[in-house]
Amino acid sequence: MPPPPKASSGVPPWGVFPAAAPSLLRDLPILIAGFVLFYGLLTFARYGIGPVNTQAEIQLSPSALPKYAFFSLTRIAIAYFLSLGFTLVYGYVAAYNAKAERFMIPLLDILQSIPVLSFLPPVMMAMIGLFPHSQLGAELGCIVLILTGQVWNMTFSFYSSLKSIPREMHEAAEIYRLSWWQRLWQMELPYAAIGLIWNSIMSVAGAWFFLMACEMFVLGNRDLRLPGLGSYLQTAANAGNTRSIAWGLGVMVAIIVLLDQVVWRPIIAWAEKFKFEQVEAAEPPRSPILDLLRRSTIIPLAARVSLRPTREALNLYFARAAALPRGRARRGELTQWTWRVLMLAGLVAAAYAAIRMGQMLVALSSVEVWGIVRGAGATFLRVEVTLVLAGLWTIPVGVFAGLRPRLSALLQPLAQIAASVPATALFPVILLMLVRIGGGMGIGSMVLLLLGTQWYILFNVIAGASAIPTDLKEVCGVFRLGNVERWRKLILPGIFPYLITGFITASGGAWNASIVAEYFHFQGKTLSTVGLGAVISHATDTGNFRVLLAATMGMAAMVATLNRLVWRRLYGLASTKFKLET
Amino acid sequence: MNPPGADKLRDALSQGHWDHAVALLQQFDPAVAADVMMGLPFEEQRVLFRVMPDDFAAALVSHFPYYHSYVLLHTRSIEKLRAIIDKMQPGERLQFFDELPGEAWQRMMDELSGEYSPAAQREEGSEVAGAISRPMPAEEPIAEAVQVEKSFLQPDGRQIQVIAPTDLSLEANTITALLGPSGSGKSTLLRILTGLIQPTKGIVLWHGRPLHECAPKLAIVFQSFALFPWLTVLDNVETPLLARGMEHFERHHRALRALHAVGLQGFESAYPKELSGGMKQRVGIARALALEPEILFMDEPFSALDVLTAENLRGELMELWLGKKIPTRSIFLVTHNIEEAALLADRILVLGRNPARIRADFRIPLKQPRDRNSAEFLVYVDYIYKLMTQPELEPAPLSAPTRAAKAPYPMLPHARPGGIAGMLELLNDRGGKDDLYHIADELLWEVNDLLPILEGATLLAFARTEKGDVEITEKGREFASADIPTRKALFREAALAHAMLLQQIRNSLASKSDGAMPMEFFRDILDEHFSEEETQRQIETALNWGRYGEICSYDSESDKLFLHRLEHSGDSHENLLHQE
Repeated sequence: MPPPPKASSGVPPWGVFPAAAPSLLRDLPILIAGFVLFYGLLTFARYGIGPVNTQAEIQLSPSALPKYAFFSLTRIAIAYFLSLGFTLVYGYVAAYNAKAERFMIPLLDILQSIPVLSFLPPVMMAMIGLFPHSQLGAELGCIVLILTGQVWNMTFSFYSSLKSIPREMHEAAEIYRLSWWQRLWQMELPYAAIGLIWNSIMSVAGAWFFLMACEMFVLGNRDLRLPGLGSYLQTAANAGNTRSIAWGLGVMVAIIVLLDQVVWRPIIAWAEKFKFEQVEAAEPPRSPILDLLRRSTIIPLAARVSLRPTREALNLYFARAAALPRGRARRGELTQWTWRVLMLAGLVAAAYAAIRMGQMLVALSSVEVWGIVRGAGATFLRVEVTLVLAGLWTIPVGVFAGLRPRLSALLQPLAQIAASVPATALFPVILLMLVRIGGGMGIGSMVLLLLGTQWYILFNVIAGASAIPTDLKEVCGVFRLGNVERWRKLILPGIFPYLITGFITASGGAWNASIVAEYFHFQGKTLSTVGLGAVISHATDTGNFRVLLAATMGMAAMVATLNRLVWRRLYGLASTKFKLET
Repeated sequence: MNPPGADKLRDALSQGHWDHAVALLQQFDPAVAADVMMGLPFEEQRVLFRVMPDDFAAALVSHFPYYHSYVLLHTRSIEKLRAIIDKMQPGERLQFFDELPGEAWQRMMDELSGEYSPAAQREEGSEVAGAISRPMPAEEPIAEAVQVEKSFLQPDGRQIQVIAPTDLSLEANTITALLGPSGSGKSTLLRILTGLIQPTKGIVLWHGRPLHECAPKLAIVFQSFALFPWLTVLDNVETPLLARGMEHFERHHRALRALHAVGLQGFESAYPKELSGGMKQRVGIARALALEPEILFMDEPFSALDVLTAENLRGELMELWLGKKIPTRSIFLVTHNIEEAALLADRILVLGRNPARIRADFRIPLKQPRDRNSAEFLVYVDYIYKLMTQPELEPAPLSAPTRAAKAPYPMLPHARPGGIAGMLELLNDRGGKDDLYHIADELLWEVNDLLPILEGATLLAFARTEKGDVEITEKGREFASADIPTRKALFREAALAHAMLLQQIRNSLASKSDGAMPMEFFRDILDEHFSEEETQRQIETALNWGRYGEICSYDSESDKLFLHRLEHSGDSHENLLHQE
C-alpha cells in the first residue's frame, strides 16, 4: 500500500500565517528593499518621459550621487534583462535549428569582434531619431549600447551549454515526451544556469565600462549627457574637482561591492544545485543573504501562493498542448514558407546593406585610408606592448601569490575590488594626474589600456599557480631544481592555459578600450594620439560615417584575425598539451 | 524454417495430438526435424522429445545445437538419457561430447557412469501432467522491427552502414537480451526500436501500427542514469508523469508507488548527487516504472555500477518481474555482459558487427532464478562465448552476398599489447588451454575487455580459439616466456606478418627517404572503410602496437608518423625508456 501523497499542496496558503508573525522582523529588510525599488522605478519612469534635455546640468554635490547611481544602475539592469531575453531566444534557435545555426554562429562571432564603442554613433542616432521629443531616445541609445557590450558572451555561453547537454539526457527528455516548456525549465535552463550566471557577472562588470563612455558624449555638434554616475565622474574630472571624483569613485566601488554581495553571491550559492556533477562538492559556496532569504517566511509563502500554482498550471497546459494531435504536415509547410520569406528578406537586406557599405568605402580618400592603416599599426603595437608590460608584472606577482594560499586568500578580494572599478571611470582621474605632471596622451593611453587589462591576467595567473598540484611542486623539491629550471619545467607550463585565457580576454578588452583611451575630451580640450581607436573616436565626433565604418571594420577584422591566427591556436595547445589532468 | 508439413505439425500440436506430431516429425530428415522443433515453444519441444522413440531422439540430438541437446536430455530421467546417448552414432556422439564445456562434460560422464546422484533430477512422471496442458498460444508481438537498417552519411558523402536489414520482434512475458561486443550497434538498435532514431529503411511497428502514429507506452533505463541532478528524487520520477499532463495528486501517488517498489521510500527529497550509483539507477528504474510501460528498455543498465551493486540490482529487478509486481509486459535489455544475459533473459539475440546484424536468436528455457554454477547454465554461457569469439560461426542468413563481395578492410582489435601479453602469460601458466569464461572469470574481465585481447592474440597467431576454448600457440608460448626486448621483437615480427594496417604503415614509411608520413594519409585510407570514431580507434591501436613493437613512432605536434630506425634500436636500453 503506497503511503498517501504529501500534503504540501492541500494546505491553504493562509494556513501558515500564525507561524509567520514572530519572524516579521526578519522579513523587514526584504519588505523595505521591495518598496525602495518600486519608488526608484517610479522616479526613473517620470524622468524618462520628460522632455529632451541636451544640456542637463550635472550636479557635483555628493547628495545628488544616490540618484545618479540609481539611474546608472537602472540602465544596466534594463540592458541586462534585454540581453538575457536576446540570449535565450538567439541561443535556443541557434542550438536547435541546424539551418539557422549555420549563419547565426558566425554572425555572432563577427558581432563579438566589432568594438562596442563603434556602435555608439549609429545606435544613438537611430534612437534619438526614433524619439526626437523625449529623453527616452538618448536613454534607449545608452541602454542598447550597454546591451551590445554584454550580450555576446552570454549568448555564446547559453548556446554552448545547450549544445553540450549529454545525449542520454536529451533522449530521456524525448522518450518521456517532455513538452518544450518542461524541457526548458527542467533541463535546458538548469543545465545552462551556471555558465549563464558567470557570464552575466562578467557582462554586468563590463557594462560599467561602457556606461562611463555613453552617459556623456559628443556626437557632431550635439552634446548629450544623461544623469548618472558616469557623467558625474566626467563632469567632476573636467572641473578638476578632486573631492567629487573621490565621492563618485567611492560610491561606484560601494555599489559594485554591494551588488556582488546582495545579488551575485546569493545567486552563485543558489545555483550550486545546478552543477552537473554526480558527487557533492566538498565546500559549496555560501551566502548569508541567501540564508536570510531561505529562512524568511515571506518568500516561500509568496512562492507557494503564486509561483507554484502558476508553474503547475503552465506545465500541465504545455504538456496537454503537446499531447494534442495537430496538423503536422500543414504546420511544417507553413513554417517552411515563413522561413523562406524571412531568409529572402534577410538576403535582400544584407545585399542592400553591402552595396551601401561598398559605396561608402569607395568614397574614402587616400588620406583617410592612410590614417586608418597608420592607426591600425600604432594601436596594434600599443596593445601588444601593453600586454607584454602587463604580463611582466602580473606573472611574477601572480605566481608569488598563487603559490601561497594564505596570501592569495588575502589578496584576492582586494584585487577584485580594484579590478571592479571600470578603467573608463579612472581615465579622467589618470588624465588629470598626467596633465599635472606633464605627460602626453601617448603614455596616457598606454596607462589606460594597462589599467583595463592587467587584472584579467593577474587573476588567471593566481588561479593557475594555485592549481599546480602539490606533488609536482614536491618533485621539484626532491630533484632540487634551481629557480630557472623550476620556472621552465613546472611553473610556466603549469600556468600556461590560465595565462592564455587571461591574455585572450585582455587582448579583446585592450582593443575595445583603445577607442576611449586614445582620444579624450578633457577640460574643454581634445587629447588624442595616433591610433585606430582615435580614428574611430574622431570620426564619431565629426560625424564622418565613412571613416567610422572603415575603421570599425578594420578593427573588427584585426581582432578576428588575431583571434583565429594566434589566440585560438595557443588555446588549443593549452587545452591539450599543457592541460593538467587531475 | 518452414518446410511443407510444418503447418500440419503445428495443427497436430494445437489439437494436442502428440503422437501424430511425432509421426509427422519423423517423416523429415533429422536435420530438418531439428530445425522445425527449434521453432516451437520450449514446452512443446520438451513433450515431443519425451514422447518420441529413443533412436529418433538420438538422431536429433546431434542436429540440435549442443547446448540445446544438453538441456533437452536433462529433461529426461537418467536412464532415458543413457539410453538415448547409447543410440547415437559413435562419430556424432564424440562430436557432441567434444563441444561440451568442462563442467557439463564432467557431469555427463558422471551420469553415464552412474556416479551422479539422481536426487537433483526431477521425477519424469510429474512432467507429463504439466506438459499435456497446452502452452499459451504465441501472442502477437508487442513491438516489431521490419527490415530496419541504418546508414550514416560520412562527411565525404559515402554511406556507412551500421545496421544491416534486421527483423526483430518483442513478445509479451519475455525478457529479451541483446548481446554484442562494444561498438556493434546494440544501442543504435535499441534507439531505433524506441523511436529515438529513425531507421534509414524499414519500419518499427507497435501492436501492428507504425511507431510514430501511436503513443507507445515505453520507457528507457539509461546507462548513465540520465537523471536531472537539480531535481529531487521525487521530482525526477514525476517528470515523465508531468509530461503526460497528469494532475498533482495522481503524479505523487504513482511516483511514490514506483519509489516504494525499488526500495527508495524515504529518499524522496534527496538529490541524485547525494546517492550512490546503485541508488541512482534505482531512481532511473523507478522513473521508468512510474510510467507503467508495456516494454521496459534497458540500455546497459548495470554496467556503470560495481559488480556487487549490479548483482544486487539485477536480483531486485528479477524479483519485481517474476513476482509480477510491475505492469511491464516485456523487457528489452541491451548488454555486453554474457553472464548477465544468460542469468536474466528468456531469449538472447547476439549481434555481429560491421554492419550490425543478428547472428543468433535463441531461447534459454532454464527456470528462474538461475544458478550460475549449474551445468545447464554453464552450457549456455559457454555457447554464447563461442558465438561471440568466433565471428565466422553460424553466419546469419541475412548477410546478403552483395556485401560479402567486397572484402572488408581487416580491422585491428582494440587491444593493448600489455593486455595481450597478460592473457598469454595466464594461459601459459594454466597449461596452454582453457575455457574462455574461466579466463574472463579469473581476470574479472567482461567480454568487452576480453574479446579484443583475444582477437589481438589470434590475429598475431599467438593463440587460437576453438569451440569456446583458447589455446596458446608455439609462438605465443615463446612470447609469454620471453624478456621484454625479445617480446618486442617477437611482437614486431608478428604484427608485421599479420596486421595489415601496420604492414601498410611500415611499407609507406620505408618508401620515404626521411621515413616520415603525415598521419592524415593513413586517416584518409581508413576513412574509406570505417566511421570517423572507428578510424580514430584504429589509429590509436596501430600506434600502441607500432610503438610497442618499435615499428613506428608518432609526433603529435607535427601530426606525423616516423619509421622506427632499427639501427638506433641497437641501444635497446634507451628505447625502453621511451616506451610506456
